[in-house]
Amino acid sequence: MSDHSHDLPFWKKYIFSVDHKMIGIQYTVTALVFLAIGFGMMLVMRYQLAYPNQPIPVIGQFLGEPIVAAVENPDTGETGYVLTGDGYNSFGAMHGTIMVFLAIVPLAVGGFGNFVLPLQCGAPDMAFPRLNMASYWTYLPGGILMMFGFFVKGGAANSGWTSYPPLATIATTGQTIWLLGMVILITSSLLGSVNFIVTVVQLRAKGLSFFRLPFFAWAQLVTAFLLLLAFPPLEAAGVLQLMDRVAGTSFFDPGGLIVSGVEQNTAGGGSPLLWQHLFWFLAHPEVYVLILPGLGIISEVIANNTRKPLWGYKSLVYSAIFLGFMSFIVWAHHMFMTGMGTTLSTFFQATTMIISVPSVIILTCLIISLWGASIRFTVPMLFALAFLPMFGIGGLTGLPLGLTASDIHLHDTYYVIGHFHYVVAPGTIFAMFAGIYYWFPKATGRKMNEWLGRIHFAGSFVFINAVFMPFFFMGMASVLRRQFDQTETLHGAAVQGLSVMSTWGAFGLAAFQLPFVFNFFWSIFAGERVGANPWHATTLEWSAPSPPPHGNFLSEPVVACGPYEYSVPGEAEDYTMQSPPPATA
Amino acid sequence: MQLLGQATDIAPYANWMPPMLSEHGGQIDNLISVLHIFMAILFVAWGAFLTYTVIRFRARAGHKADYHPVKGKASKYAEIGIGLFEVFLLLGLSMPVWAAYKNNPPKADDRVEVRAIGEQFQWNFHYPGPDGVFGRTNAKFIDAASNTVGLDPDDPAGKDDIQTIGEMHIPVGKPIYVRVSSKDVIHSFAIPTMRVKQDCIPGMEIPIWFTAKEDATTERVKREMIQEFPVADVDWYRLRHHVAVQDYQDESGQVILKEGEGIGLSREAGEKKLKTLRDVTDTIKMQPRNPLEIICAQLCGNSHFKMKAQVFTYDAAGYQEWMDNAVPKEVEIDFGGF
Ligand code: HEM
Ligand SMILES: [Cu+2]
Ligand SMILES: [Cu+2]
Repeated sequence: MSDHSHDLPFWKKYIFSVDHKMIGIQYTVTALVFLAIGFGMMLVMRYQLAYPNQPIPVIGQFLGEPIVAAVENPDTGETGYVLTGDGYNSFGAMHGTIMVFLAIVPLAVGGFGNFVLPLQCGAPDMAFPRLNMASYWTYLPGGILMMFGFFVKGGAANSGWTSYPPLATIATTGQTIWLLGMVILITSSLLGSVNFIVTVVQLRAKGLSFFRLPFFAWAQLVTAFLLLLAFPPLEAAGVLQLMDRVAGTSFFDPGGLIVSGVEQNTAGGGSPLLWQHLFWFLAHPEVYVLILPGLGIISEVIANNTRKPLWGYKSLVYSAIFLGFMSFIVWAHHMFMTGMGTTLSTFFQATTMIISVPSVIILTCLIISLWGASIRFTVPMLFALAFLPMFGIGGLTGLPLGLTASDIHLHDTYYVIGHFHYVVAPGTIFAMFAGIYYWFPKATGRKMNEWLGRIHFAGSFVFINAVFMPFFFMGMASVLRRQFDQTETLHGAAVQGLSVMSTWGAFGLAAFQLPFVFNFFWSIFAGERVGANPWHATTLEWSAPSPPPHGNFLSEPVVACGPYEYSVPGEAEDYTMQSPPPATA
Repeated sequence: MQLLGQATDIAPYANWMPPMLSEHGGQIDNLISVLHIFMAILFVAWGAFLTYTVIRFRARAGHKADYHPVKGKASKYAEIGIGLFEVFLLLGLSMPVWAAYKNNPPKADDRVEVRAIGEQFQWNFHYPGPDGVFGRTNAKFIDAASNTVGLDPDDPAGKDDIQTIGEMHIPVGKPIYVRVSSKDVIHSFAIPTMRVKQDCIPGMEIPIWFTAKEDATTERVKREMIQEFPVADVDWYRLRHHVAVQDYQDESGQVILKEGEGIGLSREAGEKKLKTLRDVTDTIKMQPRNPLEIICAQLCGNSHFKMKAQVFTYDAAGYQEWMDNAVPKEVEIDFGGF
């Protein structure tokens, strides 16, 4: 990171940097920290779920009121700290919020998008470097503000990551913090997405036509449009809910509510469902924001490790674009149980079935790409190969939720949790790991250790399934989500064993992240040194030195071919770079 | 878990889903089964192809990747096939069920009406009583002890109305028309065994209807769900909603667990009881205290997880008897001082 950069003072180089690579790394590291926090909260919740009302070992004492409550063990006289119902709800809401808005999106878009996209476009930097810096420096305070919610009276937001009013409107101060945090985070995201779009449209290297862009760049472009168009309604909705809470308006309040026996003196006339429409108008496109960059990474890794062109590149691109469009008209499938009539539900079921088609096409293209390949089982490729069936499970289990009749039974159960976690955890997170192992050499000039990577992969693969597979069966058995203790119900108690299994899966998963953490830091300083193109890849980022200097390329890249020209007959090497670096590099 | 009165068509999930006791529920389970069979076939086919491909095309000495894309229409046919099947799922299986569930409310003279009102954290029920007319309600009459729905004491139509907390009493074999609403936040009225779920949105009264199967009386379902648990390795929570169906006594003849009793409502009590039971028996025969639970499916606050109620289902005579006993006697009405 140091060799080529100019003599910038430390704080300009590492802190208030305008270099897309440094900002990408800042995003990546911050997002990984949030990922660990979100996961840590879930470990506490999972402990409670497996051992209801038992003291949380080791860390219970540090969590504080109102997250935990002290209880004395009548036999031993020892004080233990058990999670409270409010604490569980706070952790649940914050797990969702952190994972979506502070971990995965910043990692996938802010981290990988920032670092890789300008390089893949052959650009010296983002179109608006200062805007880029502003985006990170809005994200970080927004995230810190979110976490600050834990220190106000009543604890952090506890109305779910969806914050449905009226529950959210009457919730404790944490919810106000959540809303302020969201407004700031959305602003950050808007700053980023404008930048991405302009960069791809304006700063492509000579000869890099749209259809020579790597699929990763396409995925980021579509993602940026989704963020740009979907977030503003939520930002507006967030401000309205904030007004309901602090200024006495009643946008989402029908009036006449009687809370704990006390009639609320509000003007009324609002609609709780309005919030849900506005929220899901964002949040459905948001799930494609969570997965598209992952699909982009997987495509790069697959092309590189199959040593052959991606199968159906154009289908992939058109599918991603179509997915983007469709994602705006499926939102109400999250609301089938609100009392929707047949006409409306038919429309949203139909659009939901339609949107599954491009997803199937993308997955099919990626799998067929393996046919006729010469597959290298590198660590990124292992994660990419595992991604395919895992994302498949996530996608398939969306079907019963997208059809209203089966959704009656499965709505709001653990089946839903299983479904979307297969998409975002063994799906997106595996894609993120693939991306980290893949581009780490570009960012640092060193490779991560292969064997530690394999241990990390194998353990994660086994345990992540142990965490999430039980959820489908629990959902079938009607175990509802957001439950502090499922043994409170007859059918929940019957399948409590599955919950215990999931908890132990989560602890196993945590243990197998240690090799990764160690590998990551160790490799920065002691990993095997590599050159500009260690994977023998084709796309433009590999034409720049590793790590690329400020301004990225030693000479302006000129693109002569498509992104995945592997194993071209008649060529000496099995990869033909889009722009071979100057002979000296 | 024992499935009751179930059509064999839901067998694949019989051990996972709660018993299915409503008339429309079979179709839902059916759809879920078909879907999962379809999903399993796709997944296994994909998975087999993936595994085969990965092994066959692994990198090795002398093996080279082929630059040219595979030709062939197989994937296109597969995609079209999947698309068509989805159309069939939607139009053939899902829509008819949903339409039946949503489009044709039972006629007013042929249904039993109940209002279900969610509140943090209990379910309140309001029945129109013998006259079939709901009395007027108003928030100002609400009394947490005696009048949770806020019945107007001056409305003659309300004199015979029945109110219950945490219990819904219904006849089997007759359409039940539930008007679902909420006093405070959004709840969701869910009866897993009836395959019923409806969000309760404050400010709205949303109707939902279902018919409990003829043979689904609470008494019978309980009997069908009698199960023998091995006391040596069963956890307290597994039994916390069950009651013994016979007495268990130790050698001296002292009764340790009485028929109709549970092992205890707290973990401590339950585990102690289990310990003593281990000395006298290997298994205990138990049945659910009440198998037909109403749960709240929408996050509604810190006790959301225990916001539940029970459904009691009766045959016609039993229902009449319940109603006769439940109807307030004129003199006994206490409207909390209003
Ligand atoms: C890999 C580790 C993860 C584990 C073990 C895990 C586990 C869980 C569990 C058990 C729940 C249900 C809690 C409840 O309903 O009470 C949940 C909820 C949720 N998770 Fe995760 N999760 C993980 C990763 C993620 C990731 C990567 C994302 C994001 C993109 C995510 C997003 C969410 C959301 C949005 C919810 C819903 C929160 C709510 O109900 O408001 N999770 N998670
Ligand atoms: Cu509730
Ligand atoms: Cu609830």
